[in-house]
Amino acid sequence: MTSRATLPSRGLADQLTGLFWRRPGLLLLLLITPPLLWLGVVYLGSLAALLLQSFYSIDEFSGVVKEEFTLKTYGELFRAQNLDIILRTVLMAATVTLACAVLAFPIAYFAARYARGPWKAAFYLGVMLPLWSSYLVKVYAWKLILAKEGIVTWAAEGTGTGFLIDGLLSIPGLEGASLSTSPFGTFLVFVYIWLPYMILPMQAALERVPNSMLEASADLGATQSQTFWTVILPLALPGVIAGSIFTFSLTLGDYIIPQIVGDSARFIGLAVYQLQGTAGNTPLAAAFAVVPILIMLVYLTLAKRAGAFDAL
Amino acid sequence: MTAAVEFHAVSRHFGTVKAVDGVDLTIAEGSFFAMLGPSGSGKTTCLRLISGFEKPTGGQIRIFGEDVSNTPPHLRNVNTVFQDYALFPHMNVRDNVAYGLMVKGMGRAERYRKAEEMLALVKLDSYGDRKPAQLSGGQRQRVALARALVNEPRVLLLDEPLGALDLKLREAMQDELKALQKRLGLTFVFVTHDQHEALSMADSLAVFNEGRIAQIGTPQDIYDRPATRFVADFVGSSNVLPPEMTRALGGPAEWASLRPEATRLAASGPISGQVTALRYLGSGTRVVLDANGTEIAALVPAGQTVPAEGDMTAIAFEPGALHLMKGA
Amino acid sequence: MKTMKLMASTALSALIGAAPLMAQVTEIGAPEGQVNIVAWPGYIERGETMKEFDWVTKFEAASGCKVNVKTANTSDEMVALMNEGGFDLVTASGDASLRLVAGDRVQPINIDLIPSWSTVDDRLKDAPWHTVDGVHYGVPYMWGPNVLMYNTEVFKEPPTSWNVVFEEQTLPDGKSNKGRVQAYDGPIHVADAAQYLMFHKPELGIKSPYELNEDQYKAALDLLRQQRELTSRYWHDAFIQMDDFKNEGVVASGSWPFQVNLLKSEGLPIASVIPQEGATGWADTTMMHVDAANPNCAYLWMEHTLSSNLQSDLAVWFGANPSVPAACTDGRGMATAETCTANGLDDFDKIRFWTTPVSNCSQGEGACVPYYRWVSDYIGVIGGR
Repeated sequence: MTSRATLPSRGLADQLTGLFWRRPGLLLLLLITPPLLWLGVVYLGSLAALLLQSFYSIDEFSGVVKEEFTLKTYGELFRAQNLDIILRTVLMAATVTLACAVLAFPIAYFAARYARGPWKAAFYLGVMLPLWSSYLVKVYAWKLILAKEGIVTWAAEGTGTGFLIDGLLSIPGLEGASLSTSPFGTFLVFVYIWLPYMILPMQAALERVPNSMLEASADLGATQSQTFWTVILPLALPGVIAGSIFTFSLTLGDYIIPQIVGDSARFIGLAVYQLQGTAGNTPLAAAFAVVPILIMLVYLTLAKRAGAFDAL
Repeated sequence: MTAAVEFHAVSRHFGTVKAVDGVDLTIAEGSFFAMLGPSGSGKTTCLRLISGFEKPTGGQIRIFGEDVSNTPPHLRNVNTVFQDYALFPHMNVRDNVAYGLMVKGMGRAERYRKAEEMLALVKLDSYGDRKPAQLSGGQRQRVALARALVNEPRVLLLDEPLGALDLKLREAMQDELKALQKRLGLTFVFVTHDQHEALSMADSLAVFNEGRIAQIGTPQDIYDRPATRFVADFVGSSNVLPPEMTRALGGPAEWASLRPEATRLAASGPISGQVTALRYLGSGTRVVLDANGTEIAALVPAGQTVPAEGDMTAIAFEPGALHLMKGA
Repeated sequence: MKTMKLMASTALSALIGAAPLMAQVTEIGAPEGQVNIVAWPGYIERGETMKEFDWVTKFEAASGCKVNVKTANTSDEMVALMNEGGFDLVTASGDASLRLVAGDRVQPINIDLIPSWSTVDDRLKDAPWHTVDGVHYGVPYMWGPNVLMYNTEVFKEPPTSWNVVFEEQTLPDGKSNKGRVQAYDGPIHVADAAQYLMFHKPELGIKSPYELNEDQYKAALDLLRQQRELTSRYWHDAFIQMDDFKNEGVVASGSWPFQVNLLKSEGLPIASVIPQEGATGWADTTMMHVDAANPNCAYLWMEHTLSSNLQSDLAVWFGANPSVPAACTDGRGMATAETCTANGLDDFDKIRFWTTPVSNCSQGEGACVPYYRWVSDYIGVIGGR
């Protein structure tokens, strides 16, 4: 029997494979066109529509949008009460992000470096579990936990530590009748809700730091804190940045939590929700919605300049 | 001469796994000491016991006479060149080399000056601004060396530092390392699984097997007089003769080794058999014959007649060439 | 007074004059099979929340029109939904109705096609929040007061004044009201402050809480800033407010009879009162979208709202008053004369109904602060500014 140098084609699959082998670009094109279309039309398209809306203005009485180009709506962003909203939101997002980072690091570090086998599974379960239950349920639960007649106040009174809560609630800017009506309550719930989004990328980043880096650092005479600041943190920074992008932008855009927990002062997300949903002021809502986009762009630029992505 | 490193009955057990088990060891100051053994034999664990990344579960380790049982790695005047080099990817070469000086609080100008000196020593003068990712394997290896040496350690530990390099580069680096060690007069402790590397570079070496030291001595000792069958097998190229054969050759019924260089082909001799393989080595030809089921190799110097595969031939040797050893 | 009303309606007609008047429906044709309604929560019940409260099922069976409901929590949301389109009817309050008329979002109603129109409360038939230049833009639905809800364990006697939510004071239980009162999270609450000032600061000369000049408006905002100090959270979701009365130690707030009745039914120590200053209130109108796709079903539904058990049972369910007074007494539903009295049927004159503030008001052209400033300034007040 003489064997041939080539095997016979078995049908369409072989022909297609051959085609893609000869023209590798074709397969790539086929694979990325649908998602690109999705991204282009649905995402960028809606973003463009949003931008367009923000250059319209609203007839203040009838609530009908006037479709003429104007910067008036952007001017409104600079009214004192709207600037308040923006500053309040950015401040909240920044503190929430910082708190998430500080809380998430030890957890992520433990998971990445020490947890093995069942501990690892327990870690993933513990971090992901809160993500499986309804977001609203969690927020309402927190409203009850933090309420004046809720479990935290009850426990504080029972242990004689009620003065701590009272002291906290008398700090200017954090005033409230209870944790549930104080901006501090809003902060706590934000931190709880977004924490997993910080832990997971951090853990992924820490897992990619080889153990030998840490040993090398110790070998060269670094204390553990020196190792943390000069090796671990810089190498985990892309993960920290990724996590902070989540927590920061999610806080910037959220409109449920400040509605349920806190002192009713508006945040950007709530303002957007009420302006477009309730007040029908889509242009101002759109202008407000552009703010987080700009803030995130600035944030990413600063992060890049600080070298956050150098270790990527 | 003081001992740079001493192990007294040192053990490191991981649960039931005895990674290192009752090791006694003395490494002389200024020597180039190799730890040789297959993977899992305990040689790397011994190195990590010296650097402090592992704590002994039994016994005592002394570095220059000082008990280091309670000394953490960063306080030991010992530095390591890691197998994967472990260069910090977010720092340039200069900062990598200056790292040890930085964490000890040395000013920027001075530590950069020292780093540059060290880079010159490893012939990487102009590479200070590069990132490790922009270097070749050999260059990274030198940076790792410079980064360790800049701290002026009393002992330098090298964990399979040449393993990732190609043959030509490895040989060049072997010479360089050896020269560097001579020049600096430092104690080098070198872990490798490559017996040629160990034999050619070390002043003395320890052969590890299953957490214990099978033999410790100079390269000549190890090569010419392997203490056990394992050492002979692992160091390689020597013929290992089973007890029956040793007895048939007129010795006691013990395992023995016979170096191919100490043999010659003869019309008749104590060992005979059919040639099963020939390997041309340039300086000679290695002839392997099957002597009643035992493979025996002889070295035929270049220029002499080499039998063909399938020929019957015999091997003769000087009586002193047969070296008795333990079976285990 | 009459001239003022005339001026107000003239101003409005000037505003809507530019738009062509829509032709009315002249006869009811075959039902289209469905009707889409924007309504307040709890307004359109089909026995799903509680079995006995159902005023939809029979209508659907009789007319063949399926009723689809989209609930909205605030007037602003209703206006927004109607601007989006796709709905036939809306239960608009007075602070939304004129905006819908001005924005050409709703069409005139031919009352000749609604046989039960004659049974509507005479006080509502030509109410200015749905009648412009004698043209009816809707059918009255329900009305009610914004009452002062309070905790009876703290207030053994009903509070007599809204000052418990506006002025810092020691409540009958010996503790301050700070952090224990709430206010409505909608700009229309400015009117509650203005109404309070009408009574306590007559020198400001406020005639209507919905028509405020700059000075009067500023005084109202100052009062609201003072209220911000007392209020730990503003309410806009009825169920969150109820939770705050249960768990947050809130003891007094402006509220709707809806919450009062629900909390009472759970056995909590809650009651309500209309204090001496009077109350603002809402009078809702079923209005029809200018592009309603199902006009025939819409007309059938409007007739149904007046003629069926709806007026009577909704009065009980929502703690509101029917637009058809006979519904209190003729036994078509659960309401009785006592129910209607309790819900404030006799307080009609004490109530100043929500209307949208406009700049051209009875005080003159451009003399009053318009609604959009109420919106942005109230956001500022809640934000502590």
